[in-house]
Amino acid sequence: MAYSDKVLDHYNNPRNVGSLDKSSASVGTGMVGAPECGDVMKLQIRVNEENGIIEDAKFKTFGCGSAIASSSLATEWLKGKTVDEALQIKNTDIVNELSLPPVKIHCSVLAEDAIKAAISDYRNKQGSKAPVAVEQTVA
Amino acid sequence: MSPTCWNCGKPAPSRFCAECRALQPPASDYFAFFEIPRALAPDLKDLEKRFYALSRQLHPDLFSRKSAREQEYSLESTAILNDAYRVLKDPVARTLYVLKQEGFDVGEQSTKDVPPELLEEVFELNMALEELRMGDEDARPQLEAARARFRKMRDELDADLQRQFAGWDASQRAETLAAVRALLNRRKYITNLIDKASHVPDRV
Ligand code: FES
Ligand SMILES: [Zn+2]
Repeated sequence: MAYSDKVLDHYNNPRNVGSLDKSSASVGTGMVGAPECGDVMKLQIRVNEENGIIEDAKFKTFGCGSAIASSSLATEWLKGKTVDEALQIKNTDIVNELSLPPVKIHCSVLAEDAIKAAISDYRNKQGSKAPVAVEQTVA
Repeated sequence: MSPTCWNCGKPAPSRFCAECRALQPPASDYFAFFEIPRALAPDLKDLEKRFYALSRQLHPDLFSRKSAREQEYSLESTAILNDAYRVLKDPVARTLYVLKQEGFDVGEQSTKDVPPELLEEVFELNMALEELRMGDEDARPQLEAARARFRKMRDELDADLQRQFAGWDASQRAETLAAVRALLNRRKYITNLIDKASHVPDRV
């Protein structure tokens, strides 16, 4: 199957590969796997706790080219967004941007779910360290 | 199978009409086609016997002098026979087929179907492989231990699956199928892990 140029670009020069300090309270980690193919993706965000803006995002994906490109693109999009804005990112946005064919849609779903999982992890950490019991909003 | 024979109109024919011996259109359900109960652990010896017997009975050559309609049914039947046998003799394909026939949506799986503790393992294993590929031999013992662990996990899982299969075949409870479905997901990951861990790069 032919990959689009954008997929190839992200695949050959993935942005933001790496990891952030998992134990830090300002870091949220999302780890997800695709049941169909067995591929796995880890995506992390570091959030400025003052203003809720995502300052850094890293990923590591063991999977197909589309999954790598989807997570690479996702980390680019995440930086500079607030956590709430980040939750608006949909897998269909990734599909459109990368022109993924129907059989590769699940690869973009992996990226969306990884974002959600990372934010959920971040919010859990924030919720549990807050002095007053705030209502936990888990995505 | 239709309730009446297409040829003579007599009621409830089986594969061949009892009255006029005409071949009837094939059942589309694989278990019904073989005339065995739907089961997760069917008797495979019996299945094989039925397959060979039916291959002989339904062979299109035997119908070359019959009506066009019967010739067509013989072709259809042979096609289903082969598909059905291929699916039913394979444990994973058969289980997915039963899940589908029982109304489980086997196509739509989400990332939530993946066991989280296994994800960590997959990740670490992939990291170790990557290190090894880059020439870091320290990762090798870790990898070999991991491979042994995953093989053991798969064996345990298979034993568990067998138990669930027997359970469902005895009582057809939907919860059992849900458990089977979850075990299959796990199995896919573990199989994947074993495959990966088996293709360890050679010592450089
Ligand atoms: S094929 Fe598995 S994530 Fe793309
Ligand atoms: Zn008849």
